[in-house]
This record gives sequence, structure tokens and C-alpha cells, in this order.
Amino acid sequence: MRVLRGFFWLVGFWLAGDALVRLAQLPLSPGVVGLMLLTLYFVVRGRVNEDVAGAAQPLIMLLAMLIMPGVVGVFEVLDKVAEHWLAVTASLTLGTLLSVASTLWLMRRLLPQTTSTSCDGDAP
Amino acid sequence: MSALIDAWLQTPLLAIGLSIGAYLTGFALFRRLGSPGWCPPILIASLLLAATLRLLDIPYDDYRRGAAWLMLLLGPATVALAVPLYQQMHHVRALWRPLAVCLPVATLLAAFYAVAIAWALGAPPSLLASLAPKSVTAPIAMGITETLGGSVSILMGGLLITGVAATAFVTLLGRWLKIDDERLLGLALGVNGHAIGTVRAFEIGPTAGAFASLGMTLTGVLTALLLPLVWRLAGFAA
Repeated sequence: MRVLRGFFWLVGFWLAGDALVRLAQLPLSPGVVGLMLLTLYFVVRGRVNEDVAGAAQPLIMLLAMLIMPGVVGVFEVLDKVAEHWLAVTASLTLGTLLSVASTLWLMRRLLPQTTSTSCDGDAP
Repeated sequence: MSALIDAWLQTPLLAIGLSIGAYLTGFALFRRLGSPGWCPPILIASLLLAATLRLLDIPYDDYRRGAAWLMLLLGPATVALAVPLYQQMHHVRALWRPLAVCLPVATLLAAFYAVAIAWALGAPPSLLASLAPKSVTAPIAMGITETLGGSVSILMGGLLITGVAATAFVTLLGRWLKIDDERLLGLALGVNGHAIGTVRAFEIGPTAGAFASLGMTLTGVLTALLLPLVWRLAGFAA
């Protein structure tokens, strides 16, 4: 019953997200807005609702399976991409190399060292 | 046999059964192969599923119509990401200033590099829209690509390659730059390599894993908020 109650919450927040997207004509997916609304709700309440946590964990573990039908579609569009294979390959590999390098550089400059006060004790 | 399959295609249960079966088999094979980082279980499962569809002569569109029932769960599953995000909130509070500077920049750069390189090499706008959210976790990225007018299928392939590449590059560059701060490695993995990078981060350690899932979720939300705006400003037709 707990999982069902949690699932009911998740569906409710998705519907709330969808309503907001339609009313405000946001260029966002209902799921993302629902995710933000639910996070906001947790922040206001100061804790995670146990029912929601119970339903969230199995769903998150299933995410990979839920996107699989989309991944299988890749094999159907390979011939459409073939014409631009160099652009796609370079964009994905070189682009990722550049963004990883930028992220590491940026964060090394901005994140305080582990020894400073801001660390919160789940290290070492 | 083909009459039976035709009858089964009238119900979504065949597509759902094939998906679950391929996923479980893919996972078992992944374990058997010693959990290789360059070949995530989802890739094995997808290859198996594609081969099965070809073998049984099931058109992809028919499969997809049934599997749509399964993908319906992506909506509530995206909302469910609020739970791990909230559980990492204390990191956000402690480090909000560097994160507020780093994450939007890193997020937009990831999309910018991908789009700029593909554009320079002559890719059409619809392809650019499929590549732009390549560093974002799949359920959120699918929504972004649909908003921008790209192809979800191409995006999925892009996500897989990006995840594997990001994992390899973070490992290599981290070693080369002598970075051993788990928070840094975790963030870099989550921001650039979404779920695939996050899995790798949990192998490094719990702190890296926590920061990776934080980076992954915030990247997803930030990209969903910023990219459609930037897209419109840059004048790409959606």
C-alpha cells in the first residue's frame, strides 16, 4: 500500500507539473516541473515523505528499462544519421572531452578545498 | 507463428514482455562479462531487443506503440528524482556559491560544444536539436529534445556514447591532472556523463556518487530551464 500511496503522489505531482506547463505555456516537460515542485515541497516540509521515497526508489531503478524502447529506435535511424556521421561523432566525443576538461578546470578553481570549513562530514 | 505475433501485436503486453525480458537478459550478460564500464547493460539489452524484433519480423513502430505503455512511467519516474535530489540538499547548502557559478556554466558549455562542433561540420537544425541535451539524464533529455524539435531516437544514441565517453575522459583527465577530490570527480561525472557517469562515480566512492547524482539532477533541471531559452535567442527554429 505504501508504494501505491507514493506512486499516487508522484502521479499527482506530474499532473500538477503538466497543469503549470499548460497554464504558463512553459517550454519545459511536465516531469521536470513536477520534479521541481516535489523538491520544493520537501524543502518546505524539511523532510522526505516516506511513502514517496518508497515508490521513488524502485521507479528510479527501472529508469534504464523505461528508456530502452527509445534506445532501440537508434538502429532505425542509423541510415538517416549516416550522412552526418562525422558531425555526430565529433560532436559527441570531442564535445564531451572539451566539456569534461572545462568542468574539471572550473570546479577545481571554484570548489573550496576539502580541508576548509564547508565540508560536511561524509568524507573521508 | 506470424499469425500469433500479429494477434499479440494487438495488445501492448507483447512489447512490454519483450522489453522486460531483454532488460533482464542484458543485465545478466553484463554481470557475466564482469560489469565492463564501456558497455553499459542498457546497450546490451537494446542490441538484444533490436535483434529479437528483427528475428520475429516485428516492425519497430508496432513495437513502439506497445512499449509506449511502459514509457508512460517515465513521467512519474522523472518526478521521483526529487527524492535523491532532496537527500543531497545539504551539499547544495554547504557549497551553493561555487555550485551556482559552476553548474549553469558547465551545463551550457556541454550543450554549446556539442552544437557548435556539429554545426561547423554541417549538421542540420533537427540534428542539432537531437544532440544539444546529450549530457542530460535520459528522462529529462527526451522532454528537452521534443521541445527543441529533435529526434528522440538519435538523442538516445547520443546519450549512450556521451555517457561512456565522459566516464573514460573523467578517469583519464582526473589521473593526468592528479585530481583525487571525490566531490570534483563525482560532479564532473554527473554533469557530463548523466546516469552512466553516476554509476561509475559510485564505484569510486559514496561521496563521489552523491555528488554525481547531485550534478546529474541539477544539470538536467538547469538544462531544461536554460536550453529552450538560449535556443530561441540563438534563432534556431523549434
